[in-house]
Order: sequence, then structure tokens, then C-alpha cells
Amino acid sequence: MRTRRRVLLLAASCLLPRATHAQEEEALRRTMAALAATPQRQASFTEQKAIPELDLPLPSEGTLRWQAPDRLEKVTIFPITERIAVAGGRLTYERPDRGIQRNFALQEEPEMQALVEAIRGTLAGDLAALRRHYDVAYATQRDGSWRMVLTPLSLRVRGAVQRIVLTGLGAEVRGVDTEGNGGVTRMRITSAP
Amino acid sequence: MILALRNLARPGAALLLLGALLAVLAWRAPPRADLAEFLPVGGTPASAFLLRELQSGAATTLLLAAIEGEVPREELARLSRETAAALRASGRFAFVGDGTLRPSEEELAFLFRHRYLLSPETQPEAFTAEALRPKLQALLDGLRSAASPLLARFGFADPTGSFLGLATSWLGESRVETFDGAWFAPPRPDAPPRVLLLARGQGAGLDAEAQGAAIEAFRAAFAAANPPAAARLLLSGPGVFAAEAAPRIRGDVELITTASGLLLAAFLTWRFRSATLLALVAVPLVAATLAGYAMTVAIFGAVHAIALGFGMTMLGVAVDYPILLLTLRREGETMVAAAARIWPSLRLAAAAAAVGLLAMAGSGLPGLVQLAVFAGTGLLTAAATTRWVLPHLAPPGPRIVARPLPAWLVAALTALQGRRALAGLAVLAAGVALLASGGPTWQRDLAALNPVPAERRALDGELRAQLGAPDVRAVFLLGPAASEAEVLALSESLAEAARPWIAAGRLAGIDLPSRYLPSPATQRARQALLPDQAALEDALRQASAGLPFRPAAFAPFLAGVEESRRLVPLDLPGFAAGAPTIAARLSPLLTRHGAAAWGIAPASGVADPAVLERVVAERGLPGVLFVDVKLEMERLLWAYLRATALWALAGGVAVLALLALGLRRPRRALLLAAPIGGAVLLDLAVLELAGQALNLFHLASLLLLAGLAIDYSLFLADPGADTGSRPILDAAGVGQGPRDEGLRNPRDDRLGAVLSCAISTLLTFGLLSFCETPVLRGIGLTVAAGVASAFLLACALVPQPDIAPER
Repeated sequence: MRTRRRVLLLAASCLLPRATHAQEEEALRRTMAALAATPQRQASFTEQKAIPELDLPLPSEGTLRWQAPDRLEKVTIFPITERIAVAGGRLTYERPDRGIQRNFALQEEPEMQALVEAIRGTLAGDLAALRRHYDVAYATQRDGSWRMVLTPLSLRVRGAVQRIVLTGLGAEVRGVDTEGNGGVTRMRITSAP
Repeated sequence: MILALRNLARPGAALLLLGALLAVLAWRAPPRADLAEFLPVGGTPASAFLLRELQSGAATTLLLAAIEGEVPREELARLSRETAAALRASGRFAFVGDGTLRPSEEELAFLFRHRYLLSPETQPEAFTAEALRPKLQALLDGLRSAASPLLARFGFADPTGSFLGLATSWLGESRVETFDGAWFAPPRPDAPPRVLLLARGQGAGLDAEAQGAAIEAFRAAFAAANPPAAARLLLSGPGVFAAEAAPRIRGDVELITTASGLLLAAFLTWRFRSATLLALVAVPLVAATLAGYAMTVAIFGAVHAIALGFGMTMLGVAVDYPILLLTLRREGETMVAAAARIWPSLRLAAAAAAVGLLAMAGSGLPGLVQLAVFAGTGLLTAAATTRWVLPHLAPPGPRIVARPLPAWLVAALTALQGRRALAGLAVLAAGVALLASGGPTWQRDLAALNPVPAERRALDGELRAQLGAPDVRAVFLLGPAASEAEVLALSESLAEAARPWIAAGRLAGIDLPSRYLPSPATQRARQALLPDQAALEDALRQASAGLPFRPAAFAPFLAGVEESRRLVPLDLPGFAAGAPTIAARLSPLLTRHGAAAWGIAPASGVADPAVLERVVAERGLPGVLFVDVKLEMERLLWAYLRATALWALAGGVAVLALLALGLRRPRRALLLAAPIGGAVLLDLAVLELAGQALNLFHLASLLLLAGLAIDYSLFLADPGADTGSRPILDAAGVGQGPRDEGLRNPRDDRLGAVLSCAISTLLTFGLLSFCETPVLRGIGLTVAAGVASAFLLACALVPQPDIAPER
């Protein structure tokens, strides 16, 4: 009896990955569809940037704003003030306290583009766009939340960013962890009302 | 018929002989078509260098290109990438710039390794704890920002920010958007999307052939990319202009040479209805061409195609001589006797015309000098041939008689005779018109002489603005130097000297060669001041006190500084091999001419070129010279204009002296010269009214006009002792058949002969007025308007033996 259960379990575990793969793909598509159904978002974030050369992670916080199909804005208010706004193929970077303002094509900064496309593609629910830049691995957690691991396809980008891990629940994106250069940046996102 | 053929035999044989000689000469010394050879060489080292650079410098080999059309952006980007790849593969271009052009990882690593040798921030105090502390704080601050991946990559090995500083100064802010490996121009309202490309050819800029080949290669590369019908390629740049200008000038020259020859032949055929006359008239012309060709080759080594074509057209005025000989021969007079009789006047006319070329010869412009030599030699030869050869070629028998002038023309010209008041009034009106407009306008704007059509220049300006490749207006010349290293050292001394000028707002900046590659001496000096391991470690420890950096964080920095102390300083070949993209920006700033190395440092935002020139001269940096292209070209043009004016004046005096000498009566010379002076004044007024600003070509043409117009006064006045007292224009003679020779009279013949001369000159030079090339148009308009004025004034003013026709 015990052995039979064992055999059954074994058989199930053999079958499971295939069944799961199709299921996860289906779940991924559902999540993407849910994300795509929200054309406008506003949220606050906190961030912890861990860099191997530093003793302590560097904290920061601010707000995020999304407007489908391609506008994304990240405003940091602590401890520095900084604004990044992406619209279409161009990025505007501002540091008002330093009088810095730059506007450039995302294509010119592949590392930056990788990060932008990861978040933008996810918020837009555009799986095809994500898969243009990344290998996408998706998994549903036991608590119903999801976890998506993006691995850059470009070797050059992988030199700076090895992995981007997005987590969320339903149509909410809750976390973005960016791993690269031996460090990791953890962003936690809370939807603003 | 047989008679006609027999008449043609001698001149025909002469023409065949001369033609064969000319063919041999043209085969041994074929005409050259290179535009650069026709252009001036400067008198001072600066202008010589400048002109050389303008004709063959790096800037002239630049091709600006755009592909545009209502096609998807991806398609445009593909066209751009494939065209650029094909251009690179062709090996014809020293440099091809497009959106795929970015430093490779190896190039970045190379530049990073040499950062402390290349960076101007490598100063003694840069590696102290005091200097490092704010840098470390800035690094920390940067790590907090969105730029942290970039800073994490470079910041710990280079906390001084030397490398990022270099990268920023070299690459700057791009104005174009890179998409899919293509440079997209900023979107413009109501215009299709456009991608931009840049290429630098290998031939000299104005070498039309090399440029034409480069342009062909560009078009072929574009065509090979299978462009959709909606996409089109736009090309611009000095080389494109040169390649387009050469056929345009050649077209002009061919057109006027052919058309004026045909018109002249048609006119003479109509007027004289004699193939013999046509053949006879051709003999001095071909002889003149042969002599002019030979003389030009003897002096300059070759004839330029433009001088040849245009010179042959000018020799068209030499038809005057045979026409005068053939039509002024009296009844019963032998050809030889007639030639001897009119020789004093003919000699004077030819000499005056040759002197009329003095201004061209004295202008110093190689093209004009060649033209003057060619035409001057030709004119004198034509006169000599008319005097000594033609009489023996002309068939004996009845003289050739011109078709009588139409009655209305004769009536009009007769009415004009002796109308001194009318002539005076016309000249006075011209003078008043000139005074009212404040005298003739002088052309100081070079753009007006530019043969490039305005819309092509507009496209060029637009592409340059979009690419951020401004036309060079002001440069610092560095050199001559023995080596590139020396040029780089000169560039560094200029950088030092220019600091206060930039601070004072005299100019915005200079693109110095040393900005890309410092001289070996400077690199060595920077190595010498780098601290050793222990000192740097100590400084870092102090600087990072209280900051959250781990102890080993800056190990790559310590290693990098240590390595820098032992690197071999970069020379030009080493730099070009290791950093091709950055070296591509340096290479147009360094040139070699003969054994000397030169540098060019374009200046931007020059407030007042004249003031900056003075300031730079006062600073007195050896081997550094400021040149404002426009200012220098204007000066050059002004110098040429002054030389031309002086020679024109001298030529004018010489023409007068010739007249006085030839006529042996100064008062009469003045009287004969009066129509010419009046014609010059009228001509100036006509040019002013036509909106032509005077340049040296006009000036040279005015003297030429004076030399040509002498003919009319001379032959109308008929100094050849003739002057039977018969009516000038016997009403009975007019309109009669050519056989009624007995009723005709010398005055009619003279007027007819001179009119024929004036019309043939008008036909020749009038055609030039229709040329596209501004220079040729200027000459044509001046001479044509002047000849018409001179002829009419001569009719009205020249004292004639019997002014009042007997009725």
C-alpha cells in the first residue's frame, strides 16, 4: 500500500512538470491580461540597493506612475530627488538638486533599456515585448501570488543585469528585484489609492 | 560649283593642316578637367593652407546622407544599416558613421586602461585625500541614483570619474535618436521620417572623379539594400557639390562653344552667302586656337578644359579681322594690297584687344591667367594670320560682298550718326543712375560666386544641423610641425592660451586634436605625477573615513593607477588601432602636407572673428594661427579684386596710349576713346540695373570690352586714308541687289563691316549671359551690354569724314 502510494506519487511527480508548464503558461497569460486591463496606475515605492562594495544597502523611496501604453515615471524623493520619465523610445533623467537634465534614446543605454522594458512590458501586460528582451519564467506561489523571473537575452545587458524578479498578486505588481554586478536592488511597491 | 570648290581649295587645305596640328597638340597635351587646378593658390601660408584645405582637406571629403520616405521606421533603419555595411565593405571610405557605430567592448576597455594618461583631470592634487573625499561622496550619491549600474561598473575602478568625463567630452549629447542601429533625425512636421548617415571618402574633395566614384558607391550601396519605391536617398557635402559643378561647368562651356560657333557660322552665311568666306574666316580662328593652346601648354604645362572652351569662345571675336579684311577690300584692289592698307588699324585693334586681357592676366587667379594667355596669344595670331597668310589663301576675283543691310536698320543707324547730344544724354543718364544708386555695388559675399544652387545649399545646412556636423567657419591652424606629436603639443598650448578667451566669451569652444589624444610629453608628465600604491592607499583611507565603502572596494582603482604608471604613452597609430571610433573623430583634425604635419582645431561660437584674430595675433603663439574662413576668403577675393582693378586701370591707360601712338594724334585718340569710356559707364549702369554686384570677373570683362570696342571706333573712323567724299549711306545703294556694287560706297561697307563685327561679338558673349555658372554669366553680361553700348556710341560719336549724307 505504501509502495503503491509511493509509485503513484512518483508517477504524479513525473507528470506534474508537463501539466504545470501548460498551466503556468495559462496563468501567466491570465496575469498579463489582468495587468493589461489596468491602463493607469499610481503607487509609492521603497527601495533597498545592496552593492557588494558597500557595508550597508542604500535605501530610497518615492512614487511610480504608469500610463498605458508606454509612459512610465519614477520619482525618488528620499534621500535624493530624481525623476525618470520614459515615453516611447526616449528617456528623460532629471536631478533638480544637481541641475542635471538629460534626454536620450533608450536604445543608447541598453542596460537602462532592459530595466525599463521589464517594468513597462509587465505593466502593459505585453508578454511578446517581454520575450523580445528576456527569457520569462513564471510561477504561481502557494498563497496565490505570482513570481516572474526575467533573464536578459542580450549578453551585453547580462553583463550589468543578471536577473529581474517581479512579484505580484493578480493585477498588482508588488516587488521588483534587480540582480546585477554582485548586488541586488529590492523595490517594494504599494498601490496608492 | 567648280569655281566654288576651287575657291575653297586653298583655305580648305590650310584648315586641314592647322586642324591636324591642333589634333596632335591636343593628343600630346590633353586638356585637364580637375576643378582644383583652376582655383587660386593663396599668397600667405594661412591662405595657402586654407585654400588647400578647402580644395582637398578632410572636410571636403565628407558626405552627408539621408534616407527618407513614408515607410515604417524599421524599414528605414534596415536601409540605413545595410547601406552603411555595404559602404564599409566597399573599402572606398575612410569612415562610415551610422547608428550601429558605437565603441566596442574592446575599445572601451582600451580607453579605460589608458584613462589616466588621456584625461585632463590627471593633476597632482587629484589623488590627495582632500580631492578624493568629494569624489567618493559623489560616487555614493550616484550609486543612490538610477545611474548606479553605470557607476557600479566604472566607479570603483575610477572614483575620480576620469573615464566617464572623457566619454562625456568625446561623445557629448547626441541630438539624433538611435533606433534599431540607425540615426533618426528629429521628427519634423509634414515631413517623412528620415535616417542620417555620414561618410568620409578617401580622395581629395574637389577631385571630381574620385568624388563621383564615391557618390556612385553610395548610390549603389543604397540600391543594393532593395529600397522600397517610397524611400529616397539624399546626398550632400562639398564633394557632391564638386561632382555636380564639374559637369555643369563643362555643360556650360560645351553649350556656349557649340552654340556660339553655330550662330556665328549661321550669321556669316546669312550675311555673306559665301562658303569661301566661311572657310577663310575659319583659318585665323583655328590658327589662333592652335597658338593659344601651344602657348598655354608651354607656360602652364597643360590647358584647363574651362580655359580652353571659354578661350575658344573669346577667340570668336577674332572673326572681326578676316571679316574686316575681306569686306573692306576695295574694288580692284588686290588682297595683299588691302591687307597692307588696313594693317595699321588691324594691328592697333589686335594690340588693344590683347592689352584688354591685361586685367585678367594680372588678376592672379590661375584660371583667368590661363584664359588671358590663351586668348591674348590667339588674338595676336589671328591678326598676324589675317595680315600675312589670308591674302594668299583668298581666291582672286570679285570681292565678297555682304548682303545689304535691311533698310530699317540703315535708317536707324543713319539717324544715329552725329547725334552727339543724344549719346551724351545717354551717358549722362547712366552716370546719374549710377550716382543715384550710390555707385556700382561691389560683390563681397562669396556665396554669390558659389555655383551651387540655393536649394542644394539649404539641404546641406539642414543635414548638417541634424547631424550636428556644422560647416567649419573658423579654425585654428596648428603647424607646420615635424610630427603629429608636435601638432598635439601645439594644440595643448592653444588649449591653455584659449582659456581666458573662452572665459571672456570671445568664442564658445575649440575642437582640439589634443582633446582626443594628448601629446606623448603630456602623457608622460601625467604618469610621473600618479601616486605610488602606498600613498594612494593612504589617501583613500583618509578620504573614505565615515563612508560606507568596504576596505577592498577600491582595489581595482589602486591596480589601475599602478598599471597606468607603467603604460607606454599612446602615439597616433597606437591610438587609431586601439580606439577606432574615437580616432575617427581625431583624424580629420590632423593632416599632412609634404613633410609637414598640420592640425586643424575648429572653433565654435566666435563672437567677432576680426577681434579674435587680433587677440590671437597679440598673444603670439608660435605655430598657431586663427583663420576665419569667410574673413580670409573675402580678403583673398579683395586682394584679387584690387590686383585686377589696378591692372584694368593700367590696361585702360595702355589702350589709350596705343591709340595715341597708332593714330599719332592724341586729340583724335581721345575722340575715338570717348565711345569706349561712355560704353563702360553705360555698362556699369546696366549691370547695376540688372542687380549684378561687381566682382573681379566683371572688372576684367570691362577692360576686355574696352580692348574689343576699339575696333568699332577705329574702323568707323577709317583712318586708312580712304574717304572718298561719297555719301555714307547712299539711299540708292540700300536695298539693292548685291550685284549693284558700283553704287555702293566705302562708308556703307565700313558700317556694315563694323556691324558684322559687333553682332558676332554679341553672339559670342551674349550666350555667356545664359550660363548657369555665375562667373561666366557675369563676363557674358558685361561684354554683351558693353559691346552694344560701344557700337551705338561709336556710331553716334565717332567723327566721320562726311557726317551729313548728301541727299
